[in-house]
Amino acid sequence: MRILVVEDDADIARQLKLALADAGYAVDHAPDGEEAQFLGDTEPYDAIVLDLGLPKIDGVSVLERWRRDGITTPVLILTARDAWSQKVAGFDAGADDYLTKPFHTEELLARLRALLRRSAGHASPNLTCGGLRLDPRAARASVNGEPLRLTSLEYRLLHYLMMHQARVISRTELVEHLYDQDFDRDSNTVEVFIGRLRKKIGPDRIETARGLGYRIVPLEGETSEP
Amino acid sequence: MLLAGLWSLAVLVIAGVALTLYFSRAAEARFDRGLAEQIDNLSAGVGVDVDGAIIAPSLADTRTLRGFSGKYWSIAEPTREGRLREIVRSVSLVDAAPLPPPPGGVRALALHPGVTQFYSAEGPDNQRLRVGALQVRLPRRVDPVVLLAAEDSGPLSVDTRRFAIVTVITLVALGAGLMLAVLLQVRLGLQPLFALRREVAAVRRGKAERLEGDYPVELSPLAGELNALVAHNQEVVERQRTHVGNLAHALKTPLSVMLTEAGQQPGKLSEVVTRQAEVMRGQVDHHLRRARAAARAQSLGERTAVAPVLDELARTLEKIFRNKGVVIDWRAPDDLYFQGEKQDLLEIVGNVMENAGKWCTGRIRVVATPISEERLQIVVEDDGPGISPDQRGEMLRRGARLDENAPGSGLGLSIVDDLARAYGGSVSLGEASLRGLSVNLELPRVSD
Repeated sequence: MRILVVEDDADIARQLKLALADAGYAVDHAPDGEEAQFLGDTEPYDAIVLDLGLPKIDGVSVLERWRRDGITTPVLILTARDAWSQKVAGFDAGADDYLTKPFHTEELLARLRALLRRSAGHASPNLTCGGLRLDPRAARASVNGEPLRLTSLEYRLLHYLMMHQARVISRTELVEHLYDQDFDRDSNTVEVFIGRLRKKIGPDRIETARGLGYRIVPLEGETSEP
Repeated sequence: MLLAGLWSLAVLVIAGVALTLYFSRAAEARFDRGLAEQIDNLSAGVGVDVDGAIIAPSLADTRTLRGFSGKYWSIAEPTREGRLREIVRSVSLVDAAPLPPPPGGVRALALHPGVTQFYSAEGPDNQRLRVGALQVRLPRRVDPVVLLAAEDSGPLSVDTRRFAIVTVITLVALGAGLMLAVLLQVRLGLQPLFALRREVAAVRRGKAERLEGDYPVELSPLAGELNALVAHNQEVVERQRTHVGNLAHALKTPLSVMLTEAGQQPGKLSEVVTRQAEVMRGQVDHHLRRARAAARAQSLGERTAVAPVLDELARTLEKIFRNKGVVIDWRAPDDLYFQGEKQDLLEIVGNVMENAGKWCTGRIRVVATPISEERLQIVVEDDGPGISPDQRGEMLRRGARLDENAPGSGLGLSIVDDLARAYGGSVSLGEASLRGLSVNLELPRVSD
């Protein structure tokens, strides 16, 4: 297992390298954003530990560029920035986990193990519908290559619709698959979530069959591959 | 404005009283001149025969010949007792009581020989008389005589009353006109100031970012200064926040190094360093957050849509608690706005939701609703173990930990309490319908 540590503080970098090597990982170190960008793009790492306040290129920008380049390596952000606005920005840029300094080495190692386990999960085929693409393994979805930012209930709804593209799905059926058994089963909530989903993926990608339910469709001119 | 109104009212009242008084004096003086003339006529017409007896004058005025006509005269002589004994009277007096002497009596007449005394008296037929009396000496007569002329002053007081009424009506109309003019001037003249006040209030409530109105030359520099003040305020808040963030970053990295290094070395020294560094970390967290909270809520004119913030936090927290498989169900109307900065709403709700994430077994529900024009409510519920009512107060206190072994601490909620208070909001704890803890946030709202 090979891990990239991006950290500009020499002491923390040394400690991280030591701890990760002790845990049995091979470790590379990048002291600034530029080098991190290059290493991440060219070397096949299993995980990346990324600081945000970096010289040359900021950590969030580095992460965004990796994700744009199609690098799906799990990234754990390790930073002293603990404001929620920064956490949100980090996750939206494509981070998989977020740990604030000062941190306990054991916690970092535990979180890295969890990240690695998850990324090694069972592969399952991607679902597509026109420009809409859903990757069940990484629980990610995108429209025309642009990553979608979904909450888990929105993701569940989209996933279910995409698994059953051929038919109209009733509200009752959606409610049953959206919630665990003890959630309130109010069929109005489906409308709320369909509304939010339409805002995020485009209003015409979900068709309403009046009185029957909903169906996901490709846009006109798009080819729907199974 | 009220002062101006009262002032004009006082001036009008004084003017009214003065005018009426002056009129009544002038009318009386004119009346008295008429009486004096009559006395002159009496004095010219009266005669004395060889025995010293008085010969009544023959006057042309026919009113003195008609009974109780309102115009009278008489000639009398003062007696030794200080009274007047009538010698001859006008036909108009008929059988009425003689005309009375002045209030000072006969002596007043003797003291001012040649000066007519004027006074009021009761007359026949309930008439209110004005009387003039003059003591003269006649040729061929040793004892002096008193010439008296009187006229009903009823028409005089009627005139005066009529004048007063007209004056009052005129002045009241004038006063009302003046008040209206003052009111109109204030309304029209201060219109731009009222508009300015409305705009400043809108900025304060977060409905506008700056003053946009078109103001007259006198006011536009003020509007410009206010805009500069708002901009300066925002800049200061932003700068303070940046400083605090830099300080946090600068302190936390060395602390992190110390903690890790000490954790790897055995021995007493490293134990002490670890313990103290942990205390420092807690203190740094606590005080820096408090400093940030103090920098907040000062900023003017910010508003933040609630729904996108809940969406961002739900996505982020579901990733943070992915291993636990936490599902967050959030609801908020699209047109619900928090009065304040986005960062702060993220901080307040983020900490509450993170706390819920730590304690829940898999579900969190977040519902935001308007509760009035100026307040909104965000309720965060989890399906965790919940806490007893007496532990709830403890939860909000600084650094209180309910369970030393549970991940995180009560600190998150004490920060929420600080921030919410900085915005004039509140935090309360209750029992969730999901069986866990329910945290109710009340925060300021901007409504359109």
